[in-house]
Amino acid sequence: MRRIALAATCITLIATGTQSSTAAGRYDVALAPARQAAHVLNRAAFGPRPSDLAEIRRIGVERWIRQQLDPATIPDSTVLTAKLAPLATQKLATWQIFETYQPPLQQIRMATPNINQLLQPDQFRRLYNGASEERRAVIEGLSPEVRQQVLALVPPNVLDALPELRQQAERARQIQNEIRNREMLEQQRKQRPPLNELLTPEQARDLQFGTTDEKMAVLNSFSSEKRTLVFRSLPAQQVPDMFKREAIAAVNPRQAVVAELIEGKLQRAVYSPRQLEEVLVDFWLNHFNVFSGKNTVGMLLASYERDAIRPYVFGRFRDMLLATARHPAMLSYLDNFQSRSAPENAPTPGGVVIVGVSAGVPNQGLNENYGRELLELHTLGVNGGYTQADVINVARAFTGWTIFDPQRYGEFQFNPQMHDRAEKVVLGQKFPRGGGESEGVKIIDMLATHPSTARFISRKLAQRFVADDPPQALVDRMAATFTKTGGDLRAVMETLLLSREFMSEGAWQAKVKTPFELVASALRALDADVADTTALAQRLSEMGMPLYGRVDPAGYPNTAEAWSGSAGLLARINFANALTTGLISGVKADATALASQGVRHVLTDLTGSEPAAETVAAIEQGASGEKPNPNIIAGAIIASPDFQKR
Amino acid sequence: MRTRRWFLRTSGLAVGVLGTSQVWLKPASAQERASRKVLVAILQRGAADGLNVVAPFFEKRYYQLRPSIAVQMPSQQQGFGGIDLDGKFAFHQVLQPLKPLWDARQLAIVHAAGSPDTSRSHFDAQAFMESGTAGKTTEDGWLNRALPRVTQNTSPLRGVAVGATLPLALRGERSTVAVDDLAKFQIGSGASPILEKLYARSNDPQLKGQAGGMFDAVRRIESIRQQPYSPANGAIYQGTFGTRLMQLARLIKSDVGVEVAFVDFDGWDHHSNENGQLGGILGEFGRGLSSFARDLGDRMADAVVVTMSEFGRTAAENGTGGTDHGHGGVMMVLGGSVKGGSIFGKWPGLEPEQLFEGRDLAVTTDYRDVLAELVRVHLGQDPDQVFPGYKAGPPLGLLRTA
Repeated sequence: MRRIALAATCITLIATGTQSSTAAGRYDVALAPARQAAHVLNRAAFGPRPSDLAEIRRIGVERWIRQQLDPATIPDSTVLTAKLAPLATQKLATWQIFETYQPPLQQIRMATPNINQLLQPDQFRRLYNGASEERRAVIEGLSPEVRQQVLALVPPNVLDALPELRQQAERARQIQNEIRNREMLEQQRKQRPPLNELLTPEQARDLQFGTTDEKMAVLNSFSSEKRTLVFRSLPAQQVPDMFKREAIAAVNPRQAVVAELIEGKLQRAVYSPRQLEEVLVDFWLNHFNVFSGKNTVGMLLASYERDAIRPYVFGRFRDMLLATARHPAMLSYLDNFQSRSAPENAPTPGGVVIVGVSAGVPNQGLNENYGRELLELHTLGVNGGYTQADVINVARAFTGWTIFDPQRYGEFQFNPQMHDRAEKVVLGQKFPRGGGESEGVKIIDMLATHPSTARFISRKLAQRFVADDPPQALVDRMAATFTKTGGDLRAVMETLLLSREFMSEGAWQAKVKTPFELVASALRALDADVADTTALAQRLSEMGMPLYGRVDPAGYPNTAEAWSGSAGLLARINFANALTTGLISGVKADATALASQGVRHVLTDLTGSEPAAETVAAIEQGASGEKPNPNIIAGAIIASPDFQKR
Repeated sequence: MRTRRWFLRTSGLAVGVLGTSQVWLKPASAQERASRKVLVAILQRGAADGLNVVAPFFEKRYYQLRPSIAVQMPSQQQGFGGIDLDGKFAFHQVLQPLKPLWDARQLAIVHAAGSPDTSRSHFDAQAFMESGTAGKTTEDGWLNRALPRVTQNTSPLRGVAVGATLPLALRGERSTVAVDDLAKFQIGSGASPILEKLYARSNDPQLKGQAGGMFDAVRRIESIRQQPYSPANGAIYQGTFGTRLMQLARLIKSDVGVEVAFVDFDGWDHHSNENGQLGGILGEFGRGLSSFARDLGDRMADAVVVTMSEFGRTAAENGTGGTDHGHGGVMMVLGGSVKGGSIFGKWPGLEPEQLFEGRDLAVTTDYRDVLAELVRVHLGQDPDQVFPGYKAGPPLGLLRTA
């Protein structure tokens, strides 16, 4: 019997009652065997695909779980490999990403000279610190051209008591502004010439009114350099789907980098055979959340996910914690790269204390952001037993953990000049004077082995995989495993996934899907072909979950109260409709096979139990009492309340 | 300890409507007409430069601190120099569209207003401002708390954000919605009746409840959506900000029960080339507000619009023709009941010892004092509930109380 293309997940359209509040919390009642496959695929994967249910039923649930716990044994998917191949940034080092994706305007700005480049050090000193006669002498000693530039750049107070020079400075500033503006305009024109200079009238007409094929023909006839120029001015709606990502890269290269990240994440969620690994990467990236829109984090994220998260999801927690603590994405996002010691605690060689406000750096000193979130969000949890003094001292210990050239290289660097060397006490442990980078590493070790961390992490995992309010007995056992194995995350996941609480009636359909889980599970259920994820990413934003776009360091919430609000409920319904009627560009999903199977059969097969008659009737008969077409049926199933749960 | 949990407990509709509903919106009931007061909060995200929006041209220091980016002194020449407001302060020249509102005494300015918070971090400060605090992010926003608890006939649209997502300011216990584009409000799916049935019978109480509110709101909007919209009094809206205000005006005038609204406008963070950048965004801002007031016409008597930004910018210009993150800034209040035509708040001065931390315009009016007065006088709600833990000072007298 042909399996239905719509291998939706556990839709309990047994709406009237067995899945009632009596089942909630019934972690001692084993889950009915017919439901187990669907349940596991909803929790340890992003929802079933047509072939998955059969596979699990063949080899058994426990064996499937154990395979997923050991992803090295799972062969690659050629489909996924092909889809990831064009995503160049996924394989690049951060500095390569910066080099390739430098936004055009940045290059113009960097050409503006710094006053330090125009003056000799002693000229600079005399100009800024000398008496007025000295200052006048410096200025008048400059060549006319340099004089103009310097006059334009000096702050007003430097020309105190030198009125004629101030007038000249004003004039010079005006001239410099005019020159700069003119240069900028010229550059802008070069980088963004108007369309009528680039296109013949026929080409412009084809792009505006032509068919997709005609548009493709025009764009393919250009060199890629010319296409980049065209894309900078071409309205978005004239860009055919196949060129959408190139168009983004032309206008905003950095946005293109993030777009590739999103594409990789969605493709993996849909196509990776190592589903548990992908679910865990999603979990841990969220746990160690960073926001792509802050500073240059967007450029650092490919490495963050690839180097600081993914390698450790089945490894040791302590290793992941250290990797994120060192990673420029985290150092940037939580401001630690700017955090510096109070001057008296970080003497430089020779005893000179360096102070000074540089424009745009509001904090001259300690920034507590990372210290706080490390304790509150990453390890101990808000009630894990730390004080405000601990927050400050952890922050002090991490001063100096900074980024080498954040705009161009983005690699970790320990800067001893910024580091607070004074004695400090953290969680009762004394760190004597003179410590360096190792202080932070020791704190990482302390936190990773702290009993509160074991409990906090275990509870978060149980919340994601079992229920919003997970059973304490399970959390305790997971914490015990965590502590006993020194934070071995594979062992903890094994404890979780093979527990009776996980495979219980109480856990069945207990979670509400986040928008990401909804989208991934819908694509998998429909066995969709995903060629481009731009439209999907936009939909996720509309549902309230822009990928990599969470500003709050706590990451996206995972509980029903956060996601079952009609926030995005309408967006979810629209998504389901658009998906099943072919209106999401870049995605092809076919629900017509449903028609030949009948709604009752589909639902029985997917849920493992007979659906209620009224439910089948409601779907089959639709609005006007006539049989709706299969797209509407599929859309209804994906938009239904039960598909929102897992 | 700060909490940074942002719970989305409220409705945020991005799109959608039932294509097959035949229930026409009934016109506003007498009760609804009686409570037509609307408070619109506008957040300029990115730290707007108050000193150049409303420039203190009477201060010599202003020109010393900003040799190349200061607003020029008001002059007789058309289109050159700031727009004199009261002999001491001037609008930036692109705010010409707001001058008539100022002259008609429907626009008030509070200078050196802001939050005591010193983070100078956009993300944090915006979160604090939307939370209605000065250093803490709460689970819900001040504008949500400003809505009365559920009464009978509570409109599902009483708290509206215009935009794709529901901002923190409007999240919380009371059900509120984010509306992006009224014209795009349609599912066109035959599945809607099926879905409404399924959700009504869902045994998940949260899903069921939220869905009910959502289908209601969508029905309310449907009849609006079907009629094309013409702004009144020749108002013309342009740009993203203008379009958002137009959506809001349309909702308000359709009497669907909007009581509080939130619109944000991003892009004020010019660390360089302020001369090139501020004019554009500020022009769009001024034109949008002016068109909104014009479009609302008589209904401005029931509306109060308040604008704010998470902090201001440095008093001195920096080395790249811009300004950096500062402290005090400008708030504006517009509406029929506003005691406009005046600049409120104590002007702290720009001498080095008068600047906050030697670099920024100081804050002499806490933003919550402004909002508390609006909440109390215009909405009739208790500010202590809206800004828990904060005792508002004496009101500035921004609104006529008769």
